[in-house]
Amino acid sequence: MGRSYNTIAFDAAKCDGCGDCMTACATAKTGSEDQTRSRIQIVGSADDGFELALCRQCGDPKCVTVCPAAALTKSTESGVIEWDAAKCVDCLLCTIGCAYASIALDAGTGHVAKCDTCDGAPACVPACPHDALTYITTARIYNEVGDWEDLFAPGLAGCQGCNTELLMRHTLRRVGPDTVLATPPGCVPGMGSVGFNGTTGTKIPVFHPLLTNTAAMLAGIKRQYKRVGREVNALAIAGDGGASDVGFQSLSGAAERNEQILFMVVDNEGYMNTGMQRSSCTPYGAWTSTTPIGKGSDGMPAQGKTQDAKNLPLIMVNHRCEYVATASTAYMEDLYDKLDKAIEASKVGFAYLHVYSPCTTGWRFPTDQNIEVARKAVETNFVMLWEYTPGAGLQFTRPVDDPLPVTEYLKAMGRFRHLSPDQISHIQGKVVENLAFVKQMVHQARA
Amino acid sequence: MTTATVETPNQTKPAKQKVILCEGNEAAALGVALARPDMVAVYPITPQSSLVEHVAKLIADGRMDADIVDAEGEHSVLSVLQGAALAGARTYTATCGPGLAFMFEPYFRTSGMRLPIVMSIVTRDGITPQSVWGGHQDAMTVREVGWVQVYCETVQEVLDTTIMAFKIAEHHDVMLPVNVCLDGNYLSYGTSRVELPDQAEVDAFMGVKDVNWHVALDPLRPMAVDPLTGGSGGKGPSTFVRYRKGQCRGMQNSLRVIEEVHEEWAQRFGRRFAPLVEEYRLDGADYAIMTLGSMTGAAKDAIDEAREAGKRVGLIKIKTFSPFPVEALLKAMNKIQALGVVDRSVGFRWNCGPMYQEMMGALYRLGRHVPSMSFIGGLAGADITVGHFHRVIEATEKLVTNPAPAEPVWLNERD
Amino acid sequence: MEHTKYLVVGSSHAALEAVTAIRMHDAEGSLTLLTRDPYLPYSPTVLPYVVSGRSAATGIFLRDEKFFVDNRVQLKRGTELKALHAERNSAELADGSEIAYEKLLLATGAAPAIPPIPGIDQVSYHVLRTLDDAKKLHAAIKQSKQAVVLGAGLVGMHAAENLVKAGANVTIVEMAKQLTDGYFDQVAAQMIEKAFTDNGARILTGSRVVKLAPSAIGSALTLENGTTLEADLLLVATGIKPNMDYLDQAGSAVEHDQGILVSDTMQTSVANVWAAGDCAQAKGFFTEAKVMNAILPDATEQGRIAGMAMAGDPGLKHYPGGVPLNTYHFFGRHAISVGSSKLADGAEVLTRFDDASGRYLKAIFKDGRLLGIFGVNEFFDGGVMCQLILRRVDLSAVKERFVANPLAVGRELMSQLWR
Ligand SMILES: Cc1cc2nc3c(=O)[nH]c(=O)nc-3n(C[C@H](O)[C@H](O)[C@H](O)COP(=O)(O)OP(=O)(O)OC[C@H]3O[C@@H](n4cnc5c(N)ncnc54)[C@H](O)[C@@H]3O)c2cc1C
Ligand code: SF4
Repeated sequence: MGRSYNTIAFDAAKCDGCGDCMTACATAKTGSEDQTRSRIQIVGSADDGFELALCRQCGDPKCVTVCPAAALTKSTESGVIEWDAAKCVDCLLCTIGCAYASIALDAGTGHVAKCDTCDGAPACVPACPHDALTYITTARIYNEVGDWEDLFAPGLAGCQGCNTELLMRHTLRRVGPDTVLATPPGCVPGMGSVGFNGTTGTKIPVFHPLLTNTAAMLAGIKRQYKRVGREVNALAIAGDGGASDVGFQSLSGAAERNEQILFMVVDNEGYMNTGMQRSSCTPYGAWTSTTPIGKGSDGMPAQGKTQDAKNLPLIMVNHRCEYVATASTAYMEDLYDKLDKAIEASKVGFAYLHVYSPCTTGWRFPTDQNIEVARKAVETNFVMLWEYTPGAGLQFTRPVDDPLPVTEYLKAMGRFRHLSPDQISHIQGKVVENLAFVKQMVHQARA
Repeated sequence: MTTATVETPNQTKPAKQKVILCEGNEAAALGVALARPDMVAVYPITPQSSLVEHVAKLIADGRMDADIVDAEGEHSVLSVLQGAALAGARTYTATCGPGLAFMFEPYFRTSGMRLPIVMSIVTRDGITPQSVWGGHQDAMTVREVGWVQVYCETVQEVLDTTIMAFKIAEHHDVMLPVNVCLDGNYLSYGTSRVELPDQAEVDAFMGVKDVNWHVALDPLRPMAVDPLTGGSGGKGPSTFVRYRKGQCRGMQNSLRVIEEVHEEWAQRFGRRFAPLVEEYRLDGADYAIMTLGSMTGAAKDAIDEAREAGKRVGLIKIKTFSPFPVEALLKAMNKIQALGVVDRSVGFRWNCGPMYQEMMGALYRLGRHVPSMSFIGGLAGADITVGHFHRVIEATEKLVTNPAPAEPVWLNERD
Repeated sequence: MEHTKYLVVGSSHAALEAVTAIRMHDAEGSLTLLTRDPYLPYSPTVLPYVVSGRSAATGIFLRDEKFFVDNRVQLKRGTELKALHAERNSAELADGSEIAYEKLLLATGAAPAIPPIPGIDQVSYHVLRTLDDAKKLHAAIKQSKQAVVLGAGLVGMHAAENLVKAGANVTIVEMAKQLTDGYFDQVAAQMIEKAFTDNGARILTGSRVVKLAPSAIGSALTLENGTTLEADLLLVATGIKPNMDYLDQAGSAVEHDQGILVSDTMQTSVANVWAAGDCAQAKGFFTEAKVMNAILPDATEQGRIAGMAMAGDPGLKHYPGGVPLNTYHFFGRHAISVGSSKLADGAEVLTRFDDASGRYLKAIFKDGRLLGIFGVNEFFDGGVMCQLILRRVDLSAVKERFVANPLAVGRELMSQLWR
């Protein structure tokens, strides 16, 4: 199994060529501000756009293979291609091997130099004033997860481009085999979690609860195992409809009783599995098959859902659960963090994880855009990523201080195509209002 | 309320038993405690409430070792138990009327999953009209859902049957949920002398607990519980069909198991209850009346009086209502020429009592016409008195010679 | 008879790269690596630094034992391929035993070519290709007062510099008219020559040794023009010849010319046999003819292609043809050459030379495409330049800027083209 490593990511669209990263690198690595000595090089121009010449820490690095002195090695630990000054003979062959100008002669020392990610705290990243550089540390997830067993069979029957399979596999790998999984009617069993006609997609005990009683059934399971002294995780992967509408009572009851359950809601904002009908989590203005678009009567056209979405995770906060968090598959690192905490919390009480999960089919966007749509939802503050514990209160985990206009999110999909300017301003207004509301809770937690 | 005679012809070795005075709901709770369930889930509703209060108190006092879940509604009550049962727990709850109606979604499913959950129905009439009083309408409404349903006549029978219900439910040939029905008001609150079996004796009677051998949610033996079946062809529908057929077979098996368990109970504890159908003074009877539940006490008194007055009348009591004990009933019917059936609920579709309708179905197999009529009484807590039963006896007697009326007789209509 | 799925002969760059490529695609198939060398793998290229003492002889190994264990490779050191019986998929070893293979890679590299100078068999001389050679030379250098290096290629020049730095009087004898012929042009060669003569070396280009004889201090050389030289240390570095004697031993059908002839996937003319690196003769990038391109980067490239082909890796890409690539460090300066120095018809040459800084740059274009770029003391990204050549990128629009600053412009182009 291949390893994954932390990496410095560059968003060309955000770079204005200021060169602060180069100064920071040169300062950190050479003690001079001479940008030519920086190991990160911003190239290009304002006209053509800026790009990066920076070691990508290749998996199959040419510089390493051409080095005659064994001075370059790829660390299996960090993934960084390490340069050993004591072994290097200054032959420069590596600069010929690398096609990306990522190892070059440092005239100041006469030796080659390359990025070593500053041992995991790259100086360039915080120096960028425009967040064009980020240090992606998801490697831990992939490496650890890669070693854990995938508890779903290969080939679940999800829609093309759906991220729920990703979520299911990751979540199950993380919780591990000592788990009983409840997947109430919806997309998750639709994908084959419980299976069809005698074959199942899951390697751990799994069942369909009713749409209405997921939390209650899990409570019974968990309690019985506790009674006999066995540690078994009780996990639900449920849809928003079953959780916020018809299953809300049992969810609320279990939360109030602080049952030791991890309840994950995959919020695709509607009854997508049954043909994309409205749920109470469907946002205002959205087309669904039960809030269709039409010319209406008396000059009142039907323009999608006329009410705002219920904010289920905030309602769960008001149950004072052991842990409540929102997450997004566009931010797996954040999600993993929360999954870890939710699992721990579920050992003592009710843990609730609300994952915003775009639906390619029901929301009407191209199948390769799922993660992008999920990301836009966060970047516009249409949804917010936060977590709550009774001790620390509510805290943002990825605050977006400079949100994009909500239209950036809305225009990414077909279900909002019909929106009138009034509807759009209603939605933008709600985004602001929701943000203010959550901020107030954060504020209270700080106070 | 009338107490019935406890017939104990085979009182071989009466076990050491404590005698107490208690109401039916408490007797049920004591029976539950003796059966040692792992988990009890509760939600209060009149006239069941004192039953779960008794259970809660028994647990609180350390007289019963079970996890109690105060769920937020009956729907979750049964759902919690389903989960627990799938994890290997012996489980119990009680409900009635609107609670049972609210529970219906998981209720239907319990028998399909073959979970041996025991649930008392402290029977209550159906609303609307608004009422919080006894009547069999709740239990009758769900008689077609694959639960075994037995009706008790006395407080003692409530206690004993509650224990037996676990053994019946968990029998490997049955594996079905069981409702122990006790009449709201009349049995729930009726206080009488009760013999309390010894815990060790009950333990010996119950044997080893093994409730999820057939279906489990257990990481040690992972399985997918209840995958989708069905469709228009191939393996899907046939899987479903075999499930259903198995459920029906379990129901039929339960008739035998109920008899065996009652027999064993009688052997161990010296109390013998007719397991399926009780024949009361049928020998030499030309006609009979048919009863269900606590009304039977008054009915038996009326029969005794009528006999003394020279009427050739007997009584048939149904204990096991689901599955319907056709063979046992026909054996009794063979002895008589006419039958009056007293129901404590209505069958809206046939304009008669539901038990009457069931009886008519069985009757077809008798191969002989037996004139019969339907009486409906005791709705919404109304008392069916000895006097009422004399009216029933009189009307039934006429059937031997006169044609049967098309309409049912509503006993409490003008009380 | 021992049997292996993959048999790789040689343990240097081409061989190691092939092993990596095979294991990328076939993690399990049995793999045997044999080398006649007694050591763990090392690069001949590092040997000048062993000679100078800069590199410790113990610190140059490219892989450790663990690598072979982890990758399930059976490593057989001190094991020489004597004869190839390709018709029966069998390799005969020096001890007479045979190994049956399913797929064979010949990555046996090259050995010093010893010129047929009369008397050469009478004198003792050094060569430099193996670690043992390097150790011997390292010891000898310290004693030497008066050394002669035959051949002014990179191997000879490296050794000469070491000898100069060790304090010997050094004479370099080269048949060609200039130093480092074939690597660097006249201007560059003159810069190199000046650096050497400034440091006290004597350089005799256009000179041929016609006779060798033992002398009191070591050996006496007679040049074509009658000059005689005496040497207490004689290094022969006049060129290399591929190691492929094993082909002739059993009269194998593997076609060979200057080297073992291979296709674009490094396959020889015989089934199940591939060849890569210094022993192979593959097509050149600038000519369809098969050429010897005995350089390290090409050995790795060819080794990788051969390994992928042997393992049946569907990601296999055909060999684009060898591009000459060289870097050379001398007396604190560096020279880089990428591409062809041959002036094709219609080629355009742009040069720039700055006397003060000693920076020299020459770029050769044809139809706006880069054919070669050469620099002394002028650093540019050789890997980027190589891509510009391989991709035949049209540089017409940026030619002047490019020559003025190949480092910046090269990176800019990279960022647009293959980032
Ligand atoms: C002193 C020196 C300096 C150099 N400097 C440079 C430089 O600066 N830049 C550059 O690009 N190139 C340089 N080279 C050339 C470069 O080292 C070679 O191109 C490269 O090593 C070729 O690799 P290879 O794997 O093809 O063969 P080699 O490295 O020659 O390895 C051949 C292998 O085959 C084994 N072998 C040979 N015959 C047999 C046999 N019959 N049986 C078993 N095993 C056998 C050998 O033991 C060895 O392991 C230099 C070479 C030398 C000697
Ligand atoms: S310059 Fe150093 S690191 Fe680069 S190839 Fe040469 S020896 Fe290796």
